[in-house]
Amino acid sequence: MTGRLRRAEVWLAGAFVIAMVAMIFTGGAARLMRTPINATIDFATCFFAWATFLSADVAWRRNRLTALRLVPDRLPPAARWRLDLANHAVVLAILGYGVVAGSWLAWISRTRTFQGMPEISYSWVTAALPVGCALMILTTLGKIRDHWRARPRAQT
Amino acid sequence: MILVIAAFALFLLMGMPVAFAIAGAAAMFFLQNPDLPYTIPAQQTITQTQNFALLAVPLFILAGNLMNHTGLTRRLLGLATTLLGHMRGGLAQASLALSAMMGGVSGSAIADASMQARMLGGEMMARGVSRGFTAAVLSFGSILTPVIPPGIGMILYGTIGQVSIGRLFAAGILPALLLWGALAVAVAVSARRNGWPPERAARAPRREVIGAIGAGLWAILFPVILLVGLRSGFFTPSEIGALAVVYALIIGIVVYRELTRGGFGAAMSDTVADIGAVMLLIAVSAPLSYVMVLERTPETIAGLIVGLPGGLEAVMVAVALAVILAGFVIDATVLIIMLTPILLPLIRSLGGDPVHFGIVFIIAATIGNFTPPVGAAMYSVCSILNCGVPAYSRAAAPLFLAVMLVVLALVFLPDLVLFLPRALI
Amino acid sequence: QDFTLRFNHVLGPAEPFHEGFLAWAERVRERTGGRLEIDVFHSAQLGVEEDIIEQIRQGANIGQNTDSARLGTYVPSIAVVNGPYLVADKQEAFSLTDSPTMQGWLDELAADHGIRVVCFDWVQGERNFFTNTPIRTPEDLAGQRIRTPPAPIWQESIRALGAEPVAMAFGDVYSGLQNRAIDGAELVYSNITARNMNEVLEYANETRHILLVNFQIVSEQWFQGLPEDIRGVLVEECRAAGQATSNRIADVQEAAKRQLVAAGMTVVEDIDMEAFRAAGLKAFEVLGLGEAAAQIRGELAN
Ligand code: NA
Ligand code: NA
Repeated sequence: MTGRLRRAEVWLAGAFVIAMVAMIFTGGAARLMRTPINATIDFATCFFAWATFLSADVAWRRNRLTALRLVPDRLPPAARWRLDLANHAVVLAILGYGVVAGSWLAWISRTRTFQGMPEISYSWVTAALPVGCALMILTTLGKIRDHWRARPRAQT
Repeated sequence: MILVIAAFALFLLMGMPVAFAIAGAAAMFFLQNPDLPYTIPAQQTITQTQNFALLAVPLFILAGNLMNHTGLTRRLLGLATTLLGHMRGGLAQASLALSAMMGGVSGSAIADASMQARMLGGEMMARGVSRGFTAAVLSFGSILTPVIPPGIGMILYGTIGQVSIGRLFAAGILPALLLWGALAVAVAVSARRNGWPPERAARAPRREVIGAIGAGLWAILFPVILLVGLRSGFFTPSEIGALAVVYALIIGIVVYRELTRGGFGAAMSDTVADIGAVMLLIAVSAPLSYVMVLERTPETIAGLIVGLPGGLEAVMVAVALAVILAGFVIDATVLIIMLTPILLPLIRSLGGDPVHFGIVFIIAATIGNFTPPVGAAMYSVCSILNCGVPAYSRAAAPLFLAVMLVVLALVFLPDLVLFLPRALI
Repeated sequence: QDFTLRFNHVLGPAEPFHEGFLAWAERVRERTGGRLEIDVFHSAQLGVEEDIIEQIRQGANIGQNTDSARLGTYVPSIAVVNGPYLVADKQEAFSLTDSPTMQGWLDELAADHGIRVVCFDWVQGERNFFTNTPIRTPEDLAGQRIRTPPAPIWQESIRALGAEPVAMAFGDVYSGLQNRAIDGAELVYSNITARNMNEVLEYANETRHILLVNFQIVSEQWFQGLPEDIRGVLVEECRAAGQATSNRIADVQEAAKRQLVAAGMTVVEDIDMEAFRAAGLKAFEVLGLGEAAAQIRGELAN
């Protein structure tokens, strides 16, 4: 992903978080003024889904996802290199599942609506998962490319 | 189920990010059970982000990041250093005090731990506290959150077990203070053993204390305003997170005028990465919980205990230990929902008090949040502080022990739990 | 054991419905010689209702206790059952099964949306307003923020009756009342005792505005895959267990009411029912369900 796209992703995820704050605050203020707006919560949770899955890609790219590195760190470099390649392959498979299952869910749940907004499709929430997984696939492919370039000399 | 656990252990040991290890393990179950729609893991992952109780998590993370760039954190730490700087590990003690205050505000241990990790973590490490211990204190401190009202655990337990929520709320206060005290002692002992130097030779003179309180006034007011907002009924628990963000913004822009465009950008960038690390893990743990529920795993564990001989106290200790063990891999909320209807009749038949048992049970179930291999609060803090799980676990051992001692004390001295509800309600 | 149905509901393990579902499961197991096992999960352990319905539509062997408002998302007319004062009592609710109009809607639900209603003889009792000021007329509800389940028919019904509806999950009601995010709720008596809501509510106003009928749904695809004899047993025992549970609930409601009175709750009985009935009619019109409601009322009258 280019630098501009990366920045756009961070910006968008941050905008969703700010929008969550705005929605929840508006909802509370409206309730206090005795004119409750039910849709604010639906919007807030919808933005929550998008903030979560877009941010997940940012965290993944910045290597912020916690891992237990006890075993890999004790392996010789060549073995560790192969193990991490295997890890990336499993991650790709999981993310691939997320894209396929998430897209299918978004498609079949198009008649499902928000609880407080019967006119808006719940697919707007569901779509956050496949989109986030697709972005994470791009990130993983980038990691595999870097990993390949950094392969131990003995390997080649 | 065995395949799921084996796959999880394998993925974890391979060094895969924990979030993917959890997702991959849950996937094994669905590969084994083709009669279930293959979309369920994806669906459960999405639904987790629609959970009203979790809405506060990103908001408190944002609030914590903003406070770093508004000067609030710096002044709060200045105050903590002035007041507690003559103690070894004074900052760690200050973080426990903050947890106790935030415990009365936030219903979520994860939200609380994440915010504090962002607010205090960097400074604590800069002042010589080890990375592992910083993470451990900030994580364990949030054990106070579910016991100080309003805790989601108490509401769930009271609802399912038909126990007065008002009495549970009152009953949580004294045990929370005990937990705080025990953690404070453990922190003091660790600080001495590790030889962290006090930041100042002697207690600060009164004039300096007054000055620091003046400087840190808005920081002290932060939890106070949130508490008043909640108690007065102006704000619901989920709105408190948004209020925290707005408060930090107002202080940064209007009061201290230290929040710059660049600072805001940096806070947002950190927030996004924090949320991604924390929420992805929480989201993907939903399918794993689903599998546990479907297989009735916690109930099987409970069934083993129900068969045990012994009186009320023996059963309660066994229950607490089993719940803590189960909590090593199962989320506290799931444990409370599944086990309350099974365990409570047993406790009642042995003559136990449901409020007494409830508090012990909720604390025991929450401990799992802070223990490896799966603990949401632990992973949240570790990922924010970039701390390895082994370092965390070593540092957390004395804190874990302190909490366990409190649990035992609560089992054998029911009055510690029941005194306040008797006196107040 | 040839077939398993994992059955999910949102109610707690101490509510009569849970025992009713267990009794249904037990009778089905006996009569099919164990060929069909129903595994009941309380407290929404298998997940939120909408997710379960999504799984059901994909053919999973999962069932759910739901209401007509939710089913109205798929076949809008079904939602009338949830409208104010549609059926007078539980006997009338049981006879809804014989209404040809209703059967037509249920067939449409199965054919077009993959959702099979096994039976709906599960009446959860009469819903009343629970508040902190006494309610006798629709005017008394003016400006009161009343929690309702998040469904349009529900919102419009409560609005038609004079209150300001606030959508909120059932689990949040206690803290919502405690924090005064809402002024009251409309529920059945046993909901109040089950969640100790008398700690935060003062008045029980017996408006009886909705008779809450519950629907037991499974996947149409799974249902058609069952042998015919098992399908018959499943439906028959669902109706039997549902009617028995509905009768038991009437007693439970009375007991819950006595318990609440003893705990200090004030029951308001002198309600202006005519005014409430007249107000309720507005809800059907607003939702475009006036014709459907009239049709059902006509068939019930015969
Ligand atoms: Na709390
Ligand atoms: Na754990």
